[in-house]
Amino acid sequence: MGVGAAARARRHRWHRRLAVPLNQALPQRRLFLLPTRFGAGWAVLVLVLVLFGINYQNTLAYILAFWLFALATVTLLRTWRNLLGIRVSLRLPHEVFAGSEARLGVVVSGGRARTAVEVHGAGTGSVLDLPEGQGESVLAMPAARRGVQPVPLLRVESRWPLGLVRALAWIDADQTLLIYPQPHEDDETFHRRVGAGLEASDFAGLRRAEPGDSPARLAWKQWSRTGVLSTKVFSVPPRQQVWLDYDSCQGDPERRLSTLCARVLVHHSAGDRYGLRLPGSTLPQGQGARQRREALEALARFDPELATPTSTRWQ
Amino acid sequence: MRGARWGDGMRARMAGWRRGGHGPVAETGQAELAQRAVLADGHALTAVMLRQLFIGQCLVLALHLTWMPAWLGGLAVAVAGYRYLQLRRRLPWAGILLRLAAVAGVLAMLWLEYGTLYGMEGLIGLLLGVYLLKLLETHDRRDARVVVLIGMITTTVAFLHDQGILMAAGALVAVAWLVQSLVWLSGASGSRQAWRETAWLLLLSAPLMALLFVTFPRLGPLWNMPQVERASTGLTDEIAPGDIANLSRSSARAFRVRFEGREPLPAERYWRVYTLSHFDGERWSRARPEPLASALSRPLGDFVREADRSPWQPDGSASFEAELLLEPDNRPWRPSLGTPLASSERQRYLVDGTLEGMAPLSTRSLLTIESTGLAPAFIGPSGPGWHSMLPRQGNPQTRALAERLWQESEGDARAFLDSVMARFGEAPFRYTLSPPRLTSANRVDEFLFDSRAGYCTHYASALAVLARSAGIPARVVAGFLGGERHPDGYFTVRDYDAHAWVEVWLEGRWQRIDPTAAIAPERIEQGPQAIEEGSEAFLADSPFSPLRMRDVGWLNDLRLDWERLEYRWQRGVIGYQREARSVLLSELMAWLKGAWQWLADLLPGRGGFAALLGLAGLAGVAASALMLLRRGIRRHRQGKDERALVLALQAWLGKQGLGPRRGEPPAAHLRRIASLASAAGPALEECAQHLERLRYARLGGGEARQRRRLLARRIKEVRRRLKRRGSAPV
Repeated sequence: MGVGAAARARRHRWHRRLAVPLNQALPQRRLFLLPTRFGAGWAVLVLVLVLFGINYQNTLAYILAFWLFALATVTLLRTWRNLLGIRVSLRLPHEVFAGSEARLGVVVSGGRARTAVEVHGAGTGSVLDLPEGQGESVLAMPAARRGVQPVPLLRVESRWPLGLVRALAWIDADQTLLIYPQPHEDDETFHRRVGAGLEASDFAGLRRAEPGDSPARLAWKQWSRTGVLSTKVFSVPPRQQVWLDYDSCQGDPERRLSTLCARVLVHHSAGDRYGLRLPGSTLPQGQGARQRREALEALARFDPELATPTSTRWQ
Repeated sequence: MRGARWGDGMRARMAGWRRGGHGPVAETGQAELAQRAVLADGHALTAVMLRQLFIGQCLVLALHLTWMPAWLGGLAVAVAGYRYLQLRRRLPWAGILLRLAAVAGVLAMLWLEYGTLYGMEGLIGLLLGVYLLKLLETHDRRDARVVVLIGMITTTVAFLHDQGILMAAGALVAVAWLVQSLVWLSGASGSRQAWRETAWLLLLSAPLMALLFVTFPRLGPLWNMPQVERASTGLTDEIAPGDIANLSRSSARAFRVRFEGREPLPAERYWRVYTLSHFDGERWSRARPEPLASALSRPLGDFVREADRSPWQPDGSASFEAELLLEPDNRPWRPSLGTPLASSERQRYLVDGTLEGMAPLSTRSLLTIESTGLAPAFIGPSGPGWHSMLPRQGNPQTRALAERLWQESEGDARAFLDSVMARFGEAPFRYTLSPPRLTSANRVDEFLFDSRAGYCTHYASALAVLARSAGIPARVVAGFLGGERHPDGYFTVRDYDAHAWVEVWLEGRWQRIDPTAAIAPERIEQGPQAIEEGSEAFLADSPFSPLRMRDVGWLNDLRLDWERLEYRWQRGVIGYQREARSVLLSELMAWLKGAWQWLADLLPGRGGFAALLGLAGLAGVAASALMLLRRGIRRHRQGKDERALVLALQAWLGKQGLGPRRGEPPAAHLRRIASLASAAGPALEECAQHLERLRYARLGGGEARQRRRLLARRIKEVRRRLKRRGSAPV
């Protein structure tokens, strides 16, 4: 760990201490005002105009200099007021796979109209207006690695109305994102996906007919009765019962997890019953959205340290 | 490459920095509600913003319009045109070579215009050129802000030329526009919002500005700055009778004056500025103290002293106390009514009984002078001899005439002068503003015995030469006579009031003799406009002067009102320098003390606590008044709510035969009619939609206001469209 990293860590700790939790109105004590470079230029301008007024004994130059100074003062207050008391809440994405981006919904509410509020986090940013005291925008943050990731510290800032000063506050979301492994489809996965299907046998219900449905499946009786053309849907019985095994995959741990992730997705969409065997934990066989979520979460939370080299069997 | 970035603006807006619009705003999709993005992405400026900057430039340039070279306007248009074509992607970016060439071109043009670049005009022109050319390389938000900052400086520089009311108003417009473009740059979503924010900023900052203006300590100039070259008034320190150009015919203001105590009568308003004591046979010129001191090898202190009281006549009693509001001029002349005795600031007191400032004035400024109203009673070290000198040769007829008159008056100086004046008062001498030119070497002879027509300088010169020929010390005094008295009690003295008369040294003091009084007494009483002969020359240099309209009653009143306003502005605001500040501040302090005392006396109890209580009470009263006002405003707004609007529309529709059915809800009524009223249909539909949203949806204050405004607008549209069709359907 270098000096830069240490400094970064210290700065991060410091920001955490200054940060405001989510869903809390931004208090005065946690709102900071910093001059911008343009603000510094403005100060120089005022100084130059005052000197101009003094040296030329020019009253209008005095007036303009004082007015610009007063404008800066008022701007200080209005910038501060633009950010004071806003609340930030987050809408976390349902699922994020590593290698894609986590689209974080940021909802900002402010009680009154606010303008040009910037939200920054993890290298991206967006600007939003709150014309009725409500605004929403999306931060697309890159999700590089699998695992449990804390939502980064968010920075809310505003330079409205003149850009002379910057009001800023840090928002500590204190929430975590679970990032699933990046799905990696190997040949085997692909082979397992296709294959002779079983006939769908059990009548499961009706759905609205679409062009291309087999005429044999159309519910003609329903049509004559209601005038709505429907298609009969039959449920497909589970085609396979499979175990997805960490030990049967190849490559380094992350690679194996990626492969397993892809297989989970494939088997789920095929409607298979599948279970997951990871070193140190086993997910019993099951199917459906819940099984999928549990499997993916197990993959996301898996700690490769648990997979001791002795348990790895190279085939 | 940058061009590509510019062109990609639209795509960049879709990605990366996006502005989160709120639901209803986006969903309505109205043109009014659509958010106009100022910045295509975080960096590149859009055409809208560039237009804003360009308009700002035009407004700032307008402040300089009277003084700047005209081609700068062309430059502004050229730069804007280049950027316009570039946005249409027909031209490449202005490269470094083009920009350097443009700056070099501006420098060359300025050099051609002024002959030098170091003068103040050249510097101002350069600033304007840089300000205009900066638009060529304005690509992102930072550049745009720099343009605005330069604009502020350029606005200030315009105050070097003028600080009048019109300039102040123009500068206010320009500054408001510049602030507005800064608001745009910070992310305003529409012009209404930008202007509202600008108005708030300017209004809220105005009190602080006023406070600073009143209290900020005023210092003298810290170092010397290059000054703007100014034209001087019609008054010269050299007169040559016969040169027509010597008479100023412009109505430009020379100075304004207000008197403490007695005001002078018209015949007393002789403002002495210069004495011309050196005559070379053709022209009278001023003997400056420095050359005079070295010629007579005497110390300079015998001829001029810097003081705030006259060292030459320390025991004189003042008749007039004049507060002068002087116009900027490139020469430091100071007018005084008679001999100056004391002044509010240090001045150069000359031994000829005139005043000079320490430096030329670059701005209008106030000066109070006490003076006697009479010619001085001292002659100085140069003595009567200097004032009797004539060239050895020349003007023989005049000399002969003086000889003859001197003998006729039997050596009595007064009788001699009276006979000369009597001569002037008789025909064929006449007073005219456009006399024939005098061309011979003996101009005084030519005037006295040939043309016999002229104005003040001709007569003054002739009288002085006659007096000197008879051995009476005499000199010509150049200054002003008269002034227009404003109903408010101050006088305006203009260039055309310039006058010349004679002072002769008799009985131990200088005596004023004005030959014009003998030939044209109405000039003394009524001013130069009273002279009928040659009056086409009056105001000949000011073809558009409002003074030409002085006979049209209401126009003259308007002119006087404007002058009063201008005078108050100049005296109260522009003249607010050191002295005025200390006076106002002490008055303010006294008033505050009085108010504090009043509060303390008013309330039972003693001292500070009671006063504080009173202050708190006053604050409470003010706060409640404010609350009442706010409530009143809210009531007023509610009176204009959607129900009232729609009821009015329904009543109007009823008159057109399109009224609601019994029990029909308003929205349904409007929708039903929409299908009948072809042109007004969409507007009616929209009305119904806004009405429903306003009444049944939970809207924030901002959107409700927005919709109410739109509803009102659509209702107007419905009426317009239905009216245009004439008769109602159904």
